[in-house]
Amino acid sequence: MDSSNAPAASSSESGVTPPPSAERVWQAGRLEPMPIRKLPDAPPSIHLLGPTVFLVALGVGMGESYMWPRLVLLFGPEIRWLFLIGVTLQAVVMLEMARYAMATGESIFFGAARVFKPIMWFFFVVAILVYIWPGHLSAGAAALERITGIPWVVSACVGLVLVGLLFSMAKVIYPLLENVLALLIGLLVVSTSIVAAMVGQWSDVVSTITGMFHFGYFPEQAMSPAWFPIIVGSIAFAGPSGMQQMWYTLHLRDSGAGMGAHIPKVRGLRHAGEEEEMPSRGFMFDTDDADEMKKWKGWRRWVTFDALLLFWGITMLVTISFTVLAQAASRQSPDVKGLIESGEREAALNAMSDAFASAGGPVLGGVFLGFIALIGLNATLGLFDSFSRGQSDMAYHFVPGAKKFGVSKLYAGFLWGVILFGIAILLWGPADGPGAILDVLAFLSTFAMGAYCVVLLLVNNRMLPKPIRPKLVTNLVIGFGAVFYLGMLIFSLVKFGVVVG
Amino acid sequence: MRRLGELAVPGAVVGMAAGFVAGGLALVVGQPPGWAMVTALTFGVPLALLGGLYGVLVGSGKVRIGVFAPAALFWFVGFPPARLAHEVLSGLVLGGVAGWPSDLVGFLAYQAMVSLGWAIGFLWLHERIAPGWLRRVRAGNPRAAELFERYVVHAAALAEARERRRSRHPSRAGRT
Repeated sequence: MDSSNAPAASSSESGVTPPPSAERVWQAGRLEPMPIRKLPDAPPSIHLLGPTVFLVALGVGMGESYMWPRLVLLFGPEIRWLFLIGVTLQAVVMLEMARYAMATGESIFFGAARVFKPIMWFFFVVAILVYIWPGHLSAGAAALERITGIPWVVSACVGLVLVGLLFSMAKVIYPLLENVLALLIGLLVVSTSIVAAMVGQWSDVVSTITGMFHFGYFPEQAMSPAWFPIIVGSIAFAGPSGMQQMWYTLHLRDSGAGMGAHIPKVRGLRHAGEEEEMPSRGFMFDTDDADEMKKWKGWRRWVTFDALLLFWGITMLVTISFTVLAQAASRQSPDVKGLIESGEREAALNAMSDAFASAGGPVLGGVFLGFIALIGLNATLGLFDSFSRGQSDMAYHFVPGAKKFGVSKLYAGFLWGVILFGIAILLWGPADGPGAILDVLAFLSTFAMGAYCVVLLLVNNRMLPKPIRPKLVTNLVIGFGAVFYLGMLIFSLVKFGVVVG
Repeated sequence: MRRLGELAVPGAVVGMAAGFVAGGLALVVGQPPGWAMVTALTFGVPLALLGGLYGVLVGSGKVRIGVFAPAALFWFVGFPPARLAHEVLSGLVLGGVAGWPSDLVGFLAYQAMVSLGWAIGFLWLHERIAPGWLRRVRAGNPRAAELFERYVVHAAALAEARERRRSRHPSRAGRT
């Protein structure tokens, strides 16, 4: 199963596939070997405004603005050491996901299939189990209900249909939406900074930051069947959560990073007819060529900057800002803790709103709920798009007969499938409230994250040529990630016998 | 001078807008409109001046367009004094006494930390506003035309990378 044929000099720069006998290939696993192609040049400089920025902005979600400030209110800032570990681990995971995607132009799902096909099917099933629930949108819609009075089920259903229409008409609408959302996100970051500059103080930051280094702190109350599973889920929600890291490989490919430049893009349903044929496998570059390796290092620098500044930095910034405000509110209205402890889940959202209101007046409380609604919509846009990309990628390559539909139609099929199911659940389903859906998602996400750490170790160490495999330290960190996520999951099951509190 | 001023406009607009965010915040916490205006001006004007200076540095080629590290360094140094100016001046105007913070070092350290977040948002907005503004004023301003040209070259480099891909796949027009 291990790779054997070392890649050699590129056979073609034009993308025209020469006769099979003349083609040099990289054999990875038992699936079709990857032809050798040229690696494109890395972007010339380290820029903040790459395509990934938009994705990262969508990744800042409920964990940062809702779950962690809530835990800090309840258990104190010391609990944030778990957040630090969660986000740092994910920055490393992101770099390793990018390693495979940029080297091959294949998704991590394809890489998993190269190792052992049932692993890929496992993720196919887990994605459906976890992400058909419209959790993110329903939480945002509940916040919208508090501002406007529109019942959350109505706005959630309308939002779902809008998401479907948006991505079906994508070629026309998406650039406009990207520009509008990018401006809104820029304003959100600027406003968050100004608010933090005005109402925060050094002591809040000191307690928030020193809280991140209280390794091992775990109050007795957190070790309860009610709270432990939620804390585990919140660690999974620190930064890009659940399978979002795996889908990131598809976004990297679509943005043309590394060997992704050789793979066509997914199109909206309205433009599916213009789609060209998706190759049946990815490509590899010549790792024995010094020039190619130099370009590879350029791509690694590019993605490292993204991981450190954007994933790690922005996630930290937003959470610290929200936490500082929540602490200020906790000082002003001591009943905030009581509201959360009472067991009424929605009290958490209200308490967060109160936190902002007490720091800056009732309007600011409304602004906070607006942020939650916007973040909920953003997260839904990102998650549904990513889910459909991942499932259509796996289905296209590995479901017999699926190729005749093309990736874009499969994408539309999964997108509308998840939307219609989501609407059915919202109207008649077992969902008893937004918070409940969110907690289930959070916990199941943890399992996927432990599993993909194992997959990363297998794929990057067995399916890539030796010169571009990860170093020992990286492997140790990813291995620790697998033990950390899966260990906490099993501990929760064994110790408390519960999946979600 | 006018030519330099035109280069400074996008950064100054973002800085002033931030001042109005601060003023809006003062308004919602119940301060009278006059006080909110003082907050907006005492914070917004220093930020606008610094934002404008950043634009001039970009225009003179001392700072590369769109790159984060110089912007972060610039605001790491510039943001704390701007916030201090706001604190001192608003106290002076509203209460007749300069409102020096009790823990000056802690205050400046905190603002320096916040400045990194501010730098991300500032650069994000600046890079979205600047090209459109420069396109409008380039006819009568050679410096603006030159800077606009740099944005075009940068955008062309990114587009060229996409185009290279398309040339291998001629039927594709791209979605994102």
